[in-house]
Amino acid sequence: MLFKLALRNITAHKKRSSVTALLTAIMTALLVFSSAWIDGSHDTMIQSAVEIYPGYLQITGKEFRANPSYDHLIFDAAAIEQELAQNNDIASFGARFESFVLFSADEKAVGGMLTGIEPEKEVHLSRLSSSLKKGEYLSADDTNQVYIGHELAKRLKLGVGDEVAFVGSGADYSFAADNLKVKGIFQTGLFDFDANSAFLAKGYFDRIMVAENYATHFIVLPKRPGQAAELAAAIADNIGPQYQSASWNQTMAGLVKAMKLDSIFSYITLGIIFIVIFFVIMIYTFLAVFARIREIGILRAIGTTPKQILALLLLESSLLALISVVIGGLIGGAFAHYFHHNPIVFAGMEEQFKQYGLAASAMPTAFMPLMILRDMVVMFGLSVLSTLYPILKVNRFRPVEAIHHV
Amino acid sequence: MFRLTGKIAWVSLARRRTRSVLVVLMIAVSLWGLLFMEGIYDGMVEQMINNAIRSDSGHISLFGGGYRLDPDLSRQVADVAAVDDFLAKDSRVLSYVKRLKQDGLVATAHYSRGAAIFGVDLEVEERHGRLAGYLYQGEFSFGRRARGAIIGFKLADKLQVRIGSKIILSAQDRHSDVSAAPLKVTGILKTNNMALDENAVFIADKKARKLLAMDEGVSQVAVILHDEAQIPGLQQELRRRFPHLEILRWNELYPALMQSRVMMEGFNLVTSLLIFCVAALGVFGVMLVSVLERLREFGIMLAIGTRFSQIRNIIFAESFFLGFIGFGLGALIGWGTLYYFKIYGLDLSMFSDAFDEFGMDAVTYAIIRPSYFVTALVAVTMATFLSVLVPLWVLKKAKPIEAINKN
Repeated sequence: MLFKLALRNITAHKKRSSVTALLTAIMTALLVFSSAWIDGSHDTMIQSAVEIYPGYLQITGKEFRANPSYDHLIFDAAAIEQELAQNNDIASFGARFESFVLFSADEKAVGGMLTGIEPEKEVHLSRLSSSLKKGEYLSADDTNQVYIGHELAKRLKLGVGDEVAFVGSGADYSFAADNLKVKGIFQTGLFDFDANSAFLAKGYFDRIMVAENYATHFIVLPKRPGQAAELAAAIADNIGPQYQSASWNQTMAGLVKAMKLDSIFSYITLGIIFIVIFFVIMIYTFLAVFARIREIGILRAIGTTPKQILALLLLESSLLALISVVIGGLIGGAFAHYFHHNPIVFAGMEEQFKQYGLAASAMPTAFMPLMILRDMVVMFGLSVLSTLYPILKVNRFRPVEAIHHV
Repeated sequence: MFRLTGKIAWVSLARRRTRSVLVVLMIAVSLWGLLFMEGIYDGMVEQMINNAIRSDSGHISLFGGGYRLDPDLSRQVADVAAVDDFLAKDSRVLSYVKRLKQDGLVATAHYSRGAAIFGVDLEVEERHGRLAGYLYQGEFSFGRRARGAIIGFKLADKLQVRIGSKIILSAQDRHSDVSAAPLKVTGILKTNNMALDENAVFIADKKARKLLAMDEGVSQVAVILHDEAQIPGLQQELRRRFPHLEILRWNELYPALMQSRVMMEGFNLVTSLLIFCVAALGVFGVMLVSVLERLREFGIMLAIGTRFSQIRNIIFAESFFLGFIGFGLGALIGWGTLYYFKIYGLDLSMFSDAFDEFGMDAVTYAIIRPSYFVTALVAVTMATFLSVLVPLWVLKKAKPIEAINKN
C-alpha cells in the first residue's frame, strides 16, 4: 500500500522527480568515475615509478636504508640468494650494488651512480633492458662494458663504443678506478635517473670494487605484486634480524603519501561540488513536498499518523534515490570500465609528470565493482539525507494549517 | 516604480522564507567553497613558482651561449661588467645575482653523491631572493674563513651529514683537471625547489673560483623585476643588447611549473562552471515553482492594469535578490576564510613528506585575487538571469488572466 502510494506520487510529478533523479544520477556517476580515475591514475603512477627501477620489494642490511654506507651492506649475498630461491611466492629476484662515483670522459667529469646488476635477472625486475635506446643491453659475462643513461651520456658527450673513466671507492673503502666502454645507452624517461645512472655486469663490478658476494640490496618481484607487503614480512622472518625487507609502501613512502594527499585534494573538490548538489536536491524536495502540503494536510485530517506520512515521504525519496543511484552507478561504471581498457593519454603533460618522477602519460581508470558499490551507497545516503529536512519540516504542520497553507 | 517593484519582490521572497533562505545559503556555500578552492590551490602553485624564482631562476636568467645544452665552464657570461652596468641602471630591475655553477661530486667518509656546486655571495642572495628564509638548520653563513658550505636538505639526508660534518667537494676545473676542497656544513636549506634540495651545494664565490680555477665570468645572472608584466619587455631588450647570451624567462626554465599554473586555471574554470550550472538549476527550480503557484496572483495584477513588463521586472528582481544576497554572503565568508589563510596559512605539516615529494610548502598561504569575485559575480548574474527565462516563458504561455477563474 505504502509502496504503491509512493510510486504513484513519484510518477505523478514526472518533471520534478526526473530533475531530482537526474541530479542524483549525475552526482553518482561523477563520484564513481572520479574515484575510479583517482585510484587508477595513482596506481599507474606508483606502478610505473616502482617498476622502472626501485622494485616492489627491497632487501637491505638492517641499517642501510637509514644510513646507506658501506658499513651496512649485505655481506653474504649467497645466503640471501639461497633463502629467496626457496620462496614460492617470488617470481624473480636479483642483487645490486650501488655506488656513487665521478665519471670522466675527454673534457668532462660528472658525478653519478654506478651500479652492478645481474643483467639477465634485471630483465624481469626493472625496465632497464626495455629502455634501450642505442647499442646493446648488458650480458652476465660482460667486463668493462657500461650501460649508461641517455642524459648522462649526453653530458659526458659519449656515444656507443666511446670510453669513459670512473673514480670511486670500493666496498673496502679502497680507491677504485677503471676505464669503461659504452655498450648501450638507455632512456627511461625519468630525467634525473637517466642523468645519473650507469650499470655494469655485477661479476665484473664486484672484482673492481672488491665487492664479491656483497650487495647493497636485493630486488624481489613478487608473483602477486599486490601482496608485496605480506611477502616482505614473510621474507623478513626468514632472513634474520641483520637484514631488512621492505615493500614499496615503505621504500617509496613519500610517493605513497603524495598520492594520498592528491586524493584528499580531489575529494575536497568533489566535496564542494557535492555540497552544492546536496542543497539543490534539498531545495527540490522542499518544493516537491510543499507543493503537496494540502494533500498531506488532508491525509492527516482523515487519520493518517505523522509517522505514516514520514514513512511515505521517506520511502518516496529513498525509491527515487535508489533508481538514480543505480542509473548513475551504471553510467559512471561504464565510463570507468571503458577508460580502464582505453587509458586516457596526456600527451602534453609528460614534462610535468617527469618532474615528479613519473614516466607514464597513459592513465587507465581503476575498475573495481566494490568501490563503485561503495560510492553508490554513499550517494544513496547523501541523497536521502538531503530530503530529511524538508520532510521533517512539512510534518510539523498541524492538519488544519497544512490544508490552509498558501 | 523601481522601489515598488523591489518591494513586491522582497515581500514575495519573505513570504517563502525557508525556501528563499535555502537558495541564498546554496549560492553562498557554493561560492564560499569555490573561493576557498581557488585561493588555496592558486596559493600552492604560486608558492612553488615563487620558490623557483627566489631560489634559482629569478624572473629572467642570463646564461652564456650554449650553456643550457652543455653546462661547461667554457660557456660563461664573460662580459659581466657590461651586464652589471645595464642591470644596475635599469629601473625595472628590483635585484639581480651572479652565480658560478659547476657539477661535481660531494663525498663524506662513507658516502658520495653528484652535486651542483654554486659559488655565491650570501649577502646578495639574501637581498635578492631572501634565501636565508629557506634556512632549515644551521646558520646562513660560510663561517669566518669561508670554509663552510650550505647544502640542500635532501642531499644532506642522503649524505647523512649534519651541521659541522665534513664534506669533500670535487669537480673539474677550467683546465679539465679534477680538483677538490674540504668543507664543513654550516647550513642546510629547504627551498622546496626540488633540483636545489636534492643537489645544491652553495659555497663562497671566492672558494668556488679557486676550486674551479675561474678568475672571472659567471654561469648565471638571475634577475628579479618590480613587476611581472615587464618580463617580456626586459627579456627582449636584454636579447638585443647581449645577442650572444641565452636569456630565458622563469617559465621557459621551469615549463612544468607554468603547466601547473595553466592547468590550475583550467581546473578552476571547469569547477566553477560545474558549480554554477548546478546552482543555476537550484534557482531555476525555485523560480519556476514560485511563478507557477502565483499564477492567480499575477492574473489579478494584470486584470487591475499592471503591465506584463512590470511583472517580469518583479520576477527578475526576486531572482537577482536571491542571487546577490547569496553572492554577498558567500563572498564575505569566502573572503574572510581566504584572508585568514592568507595571514596564518593552511598548515598541512602532517603531510609534509608528501609535500616534499611534490616540492611544495606544507604551509599554504591563500591568494585573494579580485578576479575571483568579479568572475563569481558575473556567473551569479548570468545564473539568476538565465534561470528566470523559462519561468517567464511559462508564465506568458499560461495566460494568467484565465488562471483567476481556476481553482
